[in-house]
Amino acid sequence: MITCQNSECPNGNPASRLECPTCNKLGIRGSFFCGQDCFKSGSQKNHKVLHMIAKLDPNADNQDGTYCPFPNFNYTGSMRPVYPLAPRRKVPDHIPLPEYVPDGNPRLEDKSWAHPPRILNAEEIEKMRTVCRMSREILDLAAAALKPGITTDEIDELVHNATIERNAYPSPLRYKDYPKSVCTSINEVICHGIPDQRKLKEGDIINLDVSVYYQGFHGDVNGTYPVGQIDEESAKLIRTSRECLDKSIEICKPGALIRDIGKVIEPIARANGCSSVRSYTGHGINNHFHCPPNIPHYAKNRAVGTMKPGMVFTIEPMINLGPSWSADVHWPDNWTSTTVDGKRSAQFEETLLITETGVEVLTAAPK
Amino acid sequence: MDDDDIPVLIEHQEPPKQDEQARRVPLTIICGFLGAGKSTLLKRILTEQHGFRIAVIMNEFGDTADIEAKTINVASEGEESEEFLELANGCLCCSIKDTGIAAIEKLMQRKGAFDHILLETTGLADPGPIAALFWHNEEFASGLGRDISLDGVICVVDAVFGSQQMEEDHASDTVGESLRQIAGADIVLLNKIDLASPESVDVTAAQLRGVNPVAPIFRTVRAEIDVGKLLGVHAYTAAPATFFSPPHGHQQDTHDHDHDHDHSHPREPTHYELRGITSLLISVPVLSRQQLDAIDEWVRTVLWEQRLPGDAQQETPTVTILRCKGLFVLHSGAQHVLQGVRSMYEITEAGDALGVPDAGKLVLIGTGLNARVRESLRSVWAG
Repeated sequence: MITCQNSECPNGNPASRLECPTCNKLGIRGSFFCGQDCFKSGSQKNHKVLHMIAKLDPNADNQDGTYCPFPNFNYTGSMRPVYPLAPRRKVPDHIPLPEYVPDGNPRLEDKSWAHPPRILNAEEIEKMRTVCRMSREILDLAAAALKPGITTDEIDELVHNATIERNAYPSPLRYKDYPKSVCTSINEVICHGIPDQRKLKEGDIINLDVSVYYQGFHGDVNGTYPVGQIDEESAKLIRTSRECLDKSIEICKPGALIRDIGKVIEPIARANGCSSVRSYTGHGINNHFHCPPNIPHYAKNRAVGTMKPGMVFTIEPMINLGPSWSADVHWPDNWTSTTVDGKRSAQFEETLLITETGVEVLTAAPK
Repeated sequence: MDDDDIPVLIEHQEPPKQDEQARRVPLTIICGFLGAGKSTLLKRILTEQHGFRIAVIMNEFGDTADIEAKTINVASEGEESEEFLELANGCLCCSIKDTGIAAIEKLMQRKGAFDHILLETTGLADPGPIAALFWHNEEFASGLGRDISLDGVICVVDAVFGSQQMEEDHASDTVGESLRQIAGADIVLLNKIDLASPESVDVTAAQLRGVNPVAPIFRTVRAEIDVGKLLGVHAYTAAPATFFSPPHGHQQDTHDHDHDHDHSHPREPTHYELRGITSLLISVPVLSRQQLDAIDEWVRTVLWEQRLPGDAQQETPTVTILRCKGLFVLHSGAQHVLQGVRSMYEITEAGDALGVPDAGKLVLIGTGLNARVRESLRSVWAG
């Protein structure tokens, strides 16, 4: 039983069930008052301090000119955007551009969803091998640079430069108006984190998602890495996500069903006290960044498709700690997806080719 | 929220736990030709269900992220209001969720769950892809009481012009719009029967029955019908009622009820052809587990590759299935239900026994369903 929280309650602090709606929204529990009149009284000024404290930006470092662009958003964890974003990075003129530059609209890719998955010929497969090896190289370079104190913007600069040095284009840049060349997703951010002035901290986990466009084809690979020493729960989360990906790759071969991939992933997540995100899926990849087939990472799904030699697609499970698989919370930047309960999320991705006899991991780390 | 304003206190409610058996919000798609009586039907449903909160949407979803200007009408206790749809954050990136559906869910988050959603398609729209969209969306159910479940598709047909529309309506090499709507329907309302002769109504009903052998056909005047027959039908989970023996045996035609008795207990598979669309209704014997798996393989080959198993892949499809439903009985007594629309399908075990079926049944509605297809199916359980 909760009594009226007004220290100057004129009604003697009776048991109350009427709640401050702002506290409810901010997740502050127990802000009960006996009535609207009592709530409106003089103690309201003191009560509002609770709202301000809850909204305080722990990353605010106004000394150096950074700021949070969406201070009133109902963040689910402690991650915040740290603006300003660096100006758009330039790509040298000689590098071939994908169809969605500059207007951001992947028209041909959208049309591809009305058709069955493409089967690549030998020449195209060789080009996929090349761009996928390149993607892995660049991811490994970025991962090697991770340390406390570096900003995600500095990682973006590294990835961008490594890509254009190889005469390739960083696929995320300007795709549906995405502003950067890599996705950097820290802690409770599930995917599509935008590189900004956020400094990495000891104990963070960060996913780097690298995609590269070279000789007309895209490669796509990601991994989650620890920053310094991390807690056991986060380490387990990272191990679990990697296991989900590795075990699902094992069933891939001609004749295997796409809908069975999620059947491998979800039980592993659950067995480790985690959940597999539903609204982001694996995807076909070739001359288009995202195309058929669509690959759910959860068990009960009605995905269409049988694997065939020459098919190329990604598997990229996002695994959240705890019972919530939802990825429905998006920051007002329209990209960053976070867990609804603020718990951490990890992900791994590979681009796969179905061969005559099995599967080849095109983005595999060199042995 | 303006920090200077003092907000109104709200009634405290414990947030529902995820995975609780939360009520889902059923959605019914209503299609049919211009003038057949869709608007009359909608008004009738809203009037009869005046104690419930019902949202009515004109379909413009599936294609556009241009949500901003859209409104939906909500009827509640006889009053109608307009609600604006907002684009939910994150919808423009690669989330698989449809932007229109996300906007409806966001509205329910703000304003509370509806009791039912009626989605009225524009005159020529094919309900199949729209149904597939909402059926797919069920996979993202959060269990918080706002998840939309696809209840079924109702098609309203004009008794006066329906037959003519069905015959005229053709485009070379493709199935005409009116036929697609009937093929995708779980319930057909043959409306305005007071304006046509009984004989012509029978002819139209027979044509409808030929295209869609399992949707109940209700003959109506001014769309008058017990709303309980239209909503809450679970057309995408349960097997059609016509797959089970009616416990009351044969029934006389009443003015609003149709059992087409020439087809109700087929011992032989039926086969009807009308302008390229065919339907195949076939009895299925009691099956072993392996035979059920073989049926699953047959269905996915035909639905996903648009050819019969054993045939080579062609440039143009030889078989296309618009809608399929099935009920299979295993030796163990377990019942399995097949539901499919376009290339999306599933075969799931029925939770409780749904009644005592005579035998298993399977209906396919689409193009290219000739005798070869029937033989191909038979060989699955004969072998």
